[in-house]
Amino acid sequence: MNLSNLILKFIVLFVACSLTWSAHAMEQVYQSTEDFIAEIFIVSPPAKLIWLTKDVQTAVAGILGHAPRQLRQRYWGDEVRTLWILEEIGKEELITAGFVVQEGRLVQAKILAYRESRGMEVRYPAFLKQFKGAVLSSDNHLDRTIDGISGATLSVNAMQRMARTALYFDQLSRIK
Amino acid sequence: MMRNSIIMMAITCAFGSQQAMAAQPTLEEKLEIMQQEIETLKAQTTKKSGSGHGAASTGNTTIGGYGEVVYNNYKYKKDEADLKRFVLFFGHKFSDRVQLVSELEVEHAKADKDGGEVAMEQAYIQYGVSDRINTRAGLMLMPLGITNETHEPTTFYGVERSEVESRIIPSTWRELGVALQGEAIAGLEYNVGISTTPDASKYKDASKGFRDLRTSGRQVAANDLGLFAAMNYRAVPGLLLGASIFSGNTAQDGIGATPKAALVGVDAKLTLWDVHAKYTLGGLDLQALYAKGKLGDTAQINAAATLTAGSNKAAPESFYGWYGQAGYRVWQDGDMDATPFVRHERYNTQETVAAGYTTDPLNDETVTTVGVNFKLHPQVVLKADHQNFKADNVKDRFNLGVGYMF
Repeated sequence: MNLSNLILKFIVLFVACSLTWSAHAMEQVYQSTEDFIAEIFIVSPPAKLIWLTKDVQTAVAGILGHAPRQLRQRYWGDEVRTLWILEEIGKEELITAGFVVQEGRLVQAKILAYRESRGMEVRYPAFLKQFKGAVLSSDNHLDRTIDGISGATLSVNAMQRMARTALYFDQLSRIK
Repeated sequence: MMRNSIIMMAITCAFGSQQAMAAQPTLEEKLEIMQQEIETLKAQTTKKSGSGHGAASTGNTTIGGYGEVVYNNYKYKKDEADLKRFVLFFGHKFSDRVQLVSELEVEHAKADKDGGEVAMEQAYIQYGVSDRINTRAGLMLMPLGITNETHEPTTFYGVERSEVESRIIPSTWRELGVALQGEAIAGLEYNVGISTTPDASKYKDASKGFRDLRTSGRQVAANDLGLFAAMNYRAVPGLLLGASIFSGNTAQDGIGATPKAALVGVDAKLTLWDVHAKYTLGGLDLQALYAKGKLGDTAQINAAATLTAGSNKAAPESFYGWYGQAGYRVWQDGDMDATPFVRHERYNTQETVAAGYTTDPLNDETVTTVGVNFKLHPQVVLKADHQNFKADNVKDRFNLGVGYMF
């Protein structure tokens, strides 16, 4: 194959793809927080707050491997379930995920926004369903192994950290 | 009297409701309002700094890295300890669509006349055309095999990378080029592009396959260009199925890094392909890869390298390698775990050579590695293993290593 032909074909391919897709928005946000809340609760409950005292900050830092970015954590809940929206960096971009906890057990994990160019498989149900039923062990780890995704180790780790944090926050929210 | 009471009640109700309408929010409501305001401000700040005017301190620049220290205790030759790699990752997001991805590497602690290297492992600009298409331009890792793109020490077993993914697929192999990368369908990643090619004028001997031909983006001869394509399927958690190919001429019209008359007018076409699979289920981790390469015009490459007839350093017309690997996590406590593994490799960097030349039997090798990865943390690993080389047992060694990524 002639080199110039090769390059020409590549450029044509590139331009065609660009023209086809550049009109599309970068759909990195798959669901808004509001829509996720509405999906979980029939009547959206008012947001509540957990204050991250020094002890809580220490515990969360132990889970995340870094100090928490916020000193208050917003959540939504009723008598049965709590819902948490958390963010962590995978390799270089923030992953936004929603977690629903019932009786200390994760009942749903969902990626609301994923911005990395690799490892997008973490947002598929096949991966996320592994979190269903997970509980927090006494040392703030999940009670199960989450099968990873080759090439997306840091995104998978970030999801596990967020799941653990959601379960920990849920425990705090139930302390009267 | 009754009438006056009714009037009073009406006034009270009206006044009361007016009071209720004007009532201040509760403390909790105020906090919620403040929280919303803070989050709105945070979002605005992020958006503003993403407009392309942000500096490193705006939060659009990310820093990561990995590194590894190894100790090789040889049975029959000098032992060695080495800060093998120290790599810093710098990423910068100019906007939602445009970002820089780069990795700066120091090999063997320092670079001077005795060796070592300071090099860019990758440096490219990525433009997100859509959520399924990214375009890339710059110095990129060739998407062949498993290790070339994913080679942080916590992601592979053994102190050293597999021999097959060092000698047949010469990790870390990068080229300058342009590419399209993204997700074709759910869980199926593609990566196709056009790039510079290795340089046949740099050929020395076949023990490392075509590793010596790599140019790594430094004033690369670009008379020849190559094509690469890779598909990787990851839709099932723990599963990776993939295949890839690279093809391009390497003669560079005889005016590569070192001008060679013997390479004028020839192609010296290099084609390398592989298939690979990985499956992790609970504590079990299985991995396998097969790679095969062909190189054209090897008689001219040999001549360019001043190898005379009969030499066993001849450039390979074909070369191949495969390995199978199994690991099982036997212990886990919190962030820590221990996974013993075994890897069996078979490769020949000189399967066939041009007529009149001979092969070196030491290049037809079988390697068995048995060891353990001990993770202190999901991103910090201690390693120990023993490697047995069947053909060239001078390479037999016991290895220790520590690695990290962040």
